[in-house]
Amino acid sequence: MNHQDEKDKVKLFGIRSSPYVLKVIWALRIKGVKYDYIEEDLGNKSDLLLEYNPVHKKVPVLVYQGKPIAESEVILEFIDEAWKHCGDPILPEDPYERAMTRFWARFGSDKLSPPIWKWFTTQGQEQEDAYAAAIEQLLVLEKELCGKRFFAGEKIGFVDLSLGSLAYVIPIYEEITGVKMITEETFPSLTAWMGNFQSSPVVKDHLPPLDKLQLRLFTPAEAAWPV
Amino acid sequence: MEKMENVSAAAVPLKLFGSWASSYTHRVQLALRLKGLEFEYAEEDLGNKSDALLRHNPVYKKVPVLVHGDRALPESVIILQYLDDAWPESRPLLPASALDRALARFWCHFADDKLGPAVGAVFASTGEEQEAAVRQVHENLALIEAELRDGAFKGRRFFGGDEVGLLDVVLGCGSYWLAVFEEVTGVRLVDADAFPLFHAWLRDFEALDEVRDTIPAVDRLLEYARGVRHMLLGLASAGADAAASATPAAAAADIAVDI
Repeated sequence: MNHQDEKDKVKLFGIRSSPYVLKVIWALRIKGVKYDYIEEDLGNKSDLLLEYNPVHKKVPVLVYQGKPIAESEVILEFIDEAWKHCGDPILPEDPYERAMTRFWARFGSDKLSPPIWKWFTTQGQEQEDAYAAAIEQLLVLEKELCGKRFFAGEKIGFVDLSLGSLAYVIPIYEEITGVKMITEETFPSLTAWMGNFQSSPVVKDHLPPLDKLQLRLFTPAEAAWPV
Repeated sequence: MEKMENVSAAAVPLKLFGSWASSYTHRVQLALRLKGLEFEYAEEDLGNKSDALLRHNPVYKKVPVLVHGDRALPESVIILQYLDDAWPESRPLLPASALDRALARFWCHFADDKLGPAVGAVFASTGEEQEAAVRQVHENLALIEAELRDGAFKGRRFFGGDEVGLLDVVLGCGSYWLAVFEEVTGVRLVDADAFPLFHAWLRDFEALDEVRDTIPAVDRLLEYARGVRHMLLGLASAGADAAASATPAAAAADIAVDI
């Protein structure tokens, strides 16, 4: 391998079950970028990971030309910019649409994840309140989606990638709790979106092994990641 | 000669809904000034939010919101990036390379997700709890200091280089609270010996004309901070029930800890 090839190499440090890592994998697939993948053991983090992400010591970390980039949202925007002329765009061109895209991606982690996680991990009144809060925010999302195939339109984009883990995690939570959250009746657009997302060429075959996921959800130490 | 798109963007008025003590609002005011963009300003009473604000930001119901024609933009860091995207010919806030942009964004997240809440925790607590919060702030500042000393921002006067950029605006509009909180709580947060580069950066940032025009006078900030601290400590001793019923207090706490 010559010096130039080494320099251009893209590396991704991750764990296959993390939704944050998967976002990056899907984004790299949208752009058709080849990369080396390094699976980390979070109970025994590699020296390289700690060197590349000393601030948070977390995955995912993307390394491009020897320089590390951390935080999945930051990595996604970087991928869109660094490979601007490859594959499909991840963020839209229009300034206002870009702003709204960033807004809806944050909405997921700010407004949706906390009540959904709370619903899954609590009981009694606290669980009921969390469920109601989650439904309220999901209705906002339903309205935003409004019959579109994906949040970004005809093809998967930034918001879809950010919210994508909902598509496979919520059904698992529903199965474990025995309670439905996203019904087709109340959430026709979101229900269709979940199917569209999971069956799209970018995502299909690149979902976490679901039985492993269910096992992880029961392990107290590891279960501490929200949707 | 201005391009057509700039003329049309400039032809549509800008209106900023904000609060005088909100550092998130200051970020947008500063960015608009740095870019030389005219705007109308509407001061919000956070204890009694206007219908207009609630209409423009129904999801978060917070300031700042920038209204540009029929577009409403919430969230300061989103607004700042919008300004760069919509006025590409004006002084850019974000750097040119994808890698540098990623670094700027990463540290903006750090400022809002780690440093800000840690400083807020110092301000809202006392005793051992406060000591733990102070340690957290120092750990966070040490990380930034390391980047200034040997890392991504080595040798720079500002995070943006010779001139201020996105990260300076985000970190700067918030860091002025550090001296205010030190005065009000009696706790040392930014030691010039422990964090010489951060200290020097902040001093240079606060000396800029556009920053002096944006950040309120120290005595106003001190008076405000004293009031909020008094209320926060009163709430803490009264217990959770009091906090739930004190809406104006919660609104004020919203600003104070959201540095």
